[in-house]
Parts: sequence; structure tokens; C-alpha cells
Amino acid sequence: MLVYGMGPFQRLLQIIDSTAARAVWLAQWLALPIVALLFLQWPLRDLFKSFSREANDLGQVLFAVYITVAVTAATRAGTHLAADVIAKRYGRKTRRLLFRLGIAFGALPWALLILTAGAGIVIPSASGLERFPDTFNPGYFIIKLALWILAVLMLMQAALNLIRPDVKDSE
Amino acid sequence: MEWMGLGLLVMVAMGIVFTGLPALLVLLTVSVCGAAIGVASGTIPFALLSALPGRLINLFENDLLQALPLYVLMGVLLDRMPIADALYRAGLAILPRGPAAAPVSGMMLGALIGPMSGSVGASVLAMTRIVAPRLSASGIPAPTRFAVVAVASTLGVVIPPSLVLILLGDAMLSAHTMAVTASGRADRVINTQDVFHGALVPAAIMLVFCLLVAWRAGRNIQIESSSQQKTTLTGAQAILAGISVLSLVTLLGGIAAGQFYAVEAAAMGATVLLVTGIVFGHLRLKALDEILRDTMAVTGALFALLLAATTLTLVLRTFGTDRLIGNWITSIPGNDIVVMTVVLAAIGICAFVLDAFEIIFVVIPIVVPPLLVRVADARWVAVLILLTLQISFLLPPLGYALMMVRGNFKENISFSALARAFSPFLLAQWVVLAIVLCAPQLVHIGEKAADTSRTPLVPLSDQEINRRFEQMMPKLPEPD
Repeated sequence: MLVYGMGPFQRLLQIIDSTAARAVWLAQWLALPIVALLFLQWPLRDLFKSFSREANDLGQVLFAVYITVAVTAATRAGTHLAADVIAKRYGRKTRRLLFRLGIAFGALPWALLILTAGAGIVIPSASGLERFPDTFNPGYFIIKLALWILAVLMLMQAALNLIRPDVKDSE
Repeated sequence: MEWMGLGLLVMVAMGIVFTGLPALLVLLTVSVCGAAIGVASGTIPFALLSALPGRLINLFENDLLQALPLYVLMGVLLDRMPIADALYRAGLAILPRGPAAAPVSGMMLGALIGPMSGSVGASVLAMTRIVAPRLSASGIPAPTRFAVVAVASTLGVVIPPSLVLILLGDAMLSAHTMAVTASGRADRVINTQDVFHGALVPAAIMLVFCLLVAWRAGRNIQIESSSQQKTTLTGAQAILAGISVLSLVTLLGGIAAGQFYAVEAAAMGATVLLVTGIVFGHLRLKALDEILRDTMAVTGALFALLLAATTLTLVLRTFGTDRLIGNWITSIPGNDIVVMTVVLAAIGICAFVLDAFEIIFVVIPIVVPPLLVRVADARWVAVLILLTLQISFLLPPLGYALMMVRGNFKENISFSALARAFSPFLLAQWVVLAIVLCAPQLVHIGEKAADTSRTPLVPLSDQEINRRFEQMMPKLPEPD
């Protein structure tokens, strides 16, 4: 957990940080039902001849939520693929500057674009509680809503990485 | 403005190499800058960018991509459980005693855990932890240890079912759909199962070659008998190794026989490992928490790359760069082998600066659709690309396996010593690539006649093919 000063701005950063951390921790457990549901598809389809579509739909919903949070989890854990054969010779300040430039001109505008351009897809789907088109099972809107979860979490993490003072070089 | 897209691709390569930033940030920054230039210059209508959210949602819905966390989870579980150790010891137990036994057993372990772990990164971790210290204890010199661990970690790429193979299968499906529609052929569109089946024989040849090279590398090493550490195999380890091999054979057999899909096979593997870990007490709540945290972090890194590459591909298409590359590919003179050689060489050049995952997500969607218009044998194309990707994992400076092993090895090894240790393995890989290039029938063994490519009754003109490609490009949203 990062420790910030007592100012309201720092407190806001701390809230954003802990919210993102909590979201990542909660979402990591979704891997277990995803494994179970995808594993069950085969016996449900071939042995019991029922509920395999339901298992598939629920698996899709959980996968969409899991994967959107996972992107922020990777950023926080510093596991994004990177090649630092040359950049490892750069100083800490240079690397931090490059990282912040990448956030400011890459991740931040991209997340904003997704948030704004996705509104036309996400809002009607969520407000109408859209169902799966093939099976009419409920919950399809969550897959579309996951796009906004992705964008919001990326925005939160981008803000943290731009502002907080102790960004690691490995990030 | 088609050339603008090529400039963006060069920027991606330079950005990845010179900034050291995560590929995600480089791809997003280049995409945003490219889109901004396109919009500012009037080349790209801003409304066209609204196609992006829909494309990203398509990724969330993709059944095949659900295999991503499953494979990563299997890899992390294998690294935490004593299965790899048991398999390595079992390999040593069945091989004749001698200096070659350790590298050969290490190579066999790579072939066994590669398909189970699914990812090269997970294989490198397991191989570095299990095999490297034992090779060292057996007196195997550092460059050979390095080469054996790195090459063995990439065997899972070509041995189905692997994560790279699944992702390539998905990219091939999209590319082949576009090519079949554009060319008017009456082909059945290739799927991941086809790539699995096609890769089986080349993978077997590759494995035999790598085992031979490992055996030869070990045989030539002079080791004092006192430096050879005795590795014992307990009864429990023998049972665990037997169950693991049986599970792998079941997994492979089930997929090959079409009993279940790759995603289901991955889910079965992950379930078996989870249950085994819980039953044998390896997975307490704290350990499970760490495993799931690592799984999510690695899965997120791979999926983020896919999201960023989807964005870049959209920008490149709006610039018309894919048409430019398509025209180049369709104008390459010569037969299928010549065309394939040129394209594989281009992918090989990309592999110097891009990782295999980046190649699958960024390069394949642009290069392969026009390639498949020109070269009808999609299964052959897929397997050749797969073999090239395996080589790319070992190419400096960005070869993923190479980088990971270098990061995990503490010794400083000279480049010339490394080159000597690696060259026989790389030569073996190039030989397999050449064999498959010259003998396409190797990837069609057991294939139904109905699944082969059929040319259209009336050959289409280049203009007609381009027109059909145009129709498949992202549509400009209607103005309000």
C-alpha cells in the first residue's frame, strides 16, 4: 500500500490506488469459476446434453470482467512485455519521463477515446439489460459494460502513474 | 497516406527497442499519434475511430481467447508444484547413464511441460528452476545449459496445444476468412484444430532434431565422474510423472480426435492441476492467492497487447497500409514457395524487434490475408509461421525465451560461447523450417480431401480481389 501525505489530493490518490487494488484482488478470484465453467462445458454438452450454453454464456461474462481488470493488474504488477536491452542504460529520470510520456500520449487518450466512443454501445445495452443474442440468457450487457470498466480502471491507473511520486522504473 | 502506416510500424519497432517502455504503451502511443495525424490531415474521419469499441468487445466475446487465463494458470501451477521435477527425474531414470542424459532429459521435460503450461514464459520459469541447477550439478557448462533451457522452453510453441498455437489459430481464422471471401475460393476456413493437426508431424521432427542436438552437445562434454550428481526417483515421483504423461496424452489425443476443444482441454488441465494441488496440500489459501494474482498479471499483459494491437491495426487499415502490403505480396513473382520464403523472411526480420505475441497480434492480421489470397494452403502457411515464431523466441535482442533465460541466469556468458552453444539448435530449427517449406504434404497427413483448398471456377482479377478486401474493411459510420 502506498503512503501519501495528509492533503486532500493525496488522499484522493490513495483512494484511487486502494480502489484499483481492491478491484484487482476481487477479480483475480474469478479465474476459479471461469476454469470450472469452461471445464464443465464438455460433460454438460456431451454427457448431460443440457446447460452447456448457459455455462458458456456465464463463462463469457466472467471472462470479460476478469480480462478487463487484468490489464490494470498487469500494469500494477509491472508484467507488461518490454525490451530494455538498450533502455536499461538510461538513467532513472529518463526512464520515468519516457514512462510518463507513454501514459500521457498513449494510455490516457486511448482510455478517454474508449470511454467516449463506447458510450453509444455501452449505454443502450446496459440500460436495456441486453441479453445474449443466440440464447436469450441474461447478462450480455455486462460484456459491453466491461469496456467501460477497462477504460475507467486504465484512467485511474494512468492518473496514479502520472502523478504519484514513487513510480518504479520497472513499470 | 498508405506509407504513413509503414512509418507507424517502424515507430513501433523503434519505440519498443529504444524506449524500453512496455509494448502496450508503445503501441497505444503510436496508434493515438497516428490517428491524431490522420484526423488532423483529413485522411481519417474521426467517426471511423468509433469502430474501435466494437472491435474490442469482439475480443471480450471471443471463445478461443478464454484459453488465455487457463494456460497461464496451468503454467503458474506447474511452476509451484513438483510435477516438472518428477518428470525430469523420470527422464533421467529411463535414459542410459552418461553426460548426455541431463540435457536430453531437460529437452524432454521442455517437450512435456510446454504444451501443458502453454506459454514460453511459464516454461522458462519451470526449466530455469528445475533443470538449470541440475545441469549445473551434472557439470554441463553454462552456455550449453543456457541453450538447452532456452530451446526446451520454446518446444511447447510447436507442440500442440500451446498458447502461441491457439492465438495463431485465431489470427489465421480471421485472415483466412478474409482471403477466402476476397478470392472467391470454396475453402473451409481454417481453425485452431487444423493448425493443431498440421503442426503435429513438424513438431515431432523438431523434437527429434532437438533431442539429437542435446544428446550430441552432452556427449561431447568431458565430465569428471565426481562432478556428476546422482538424481534419484522416488515411487511417489514416478507415479506423479506417470499421471502427468498420461494426462498430456489424453489432452493431446482428445483434441486430435476432436473430442473436445482446445479451451476445454486447457480447462481440464487447469482443473486437474488445481484439484491435485489442493488434495496434496500444495495449494493453501495464501498460495492460491499468490497463484491467482500472478495468473491475472500475466494474462492481463498478454490481453493488453491484443487490445493495443487491435487499435493499431484499425489505424493502419484506415490509412490503407494493409492494401499497400497486400499489393506488394500479390506482386511477388514466383511460386508459392518463393512467396512464402519472402513473407517468412519479413516476419523473421520483424522477429528481431517484436516478440512472437506482438507478431501474431500486429503483423499477422496485415500480412496474412493477402498472403492467403496468393497462397491457398492455409494450413501450410500457419505451420510455417508457427515454426518462424518458435525461432523468433530465440532471436536476439528481443527473443522472449532468450531474454527470460538471460534474466534468470546469474552467469555472464560471452556472445561467442553462446553462439557456439545455440548454433546447432538454431540450425536444426532452420532445417525443419526448410523441410516443411519444401514438403507441404507434411502438414496434411490425415487431412480429409474435402478440407483441401479449391480454386474458384472463374479466376478473379486483382481489382475484384481488392474490391472484396475493401468491403471487409471497417465501415464508416453513417453521419447523423
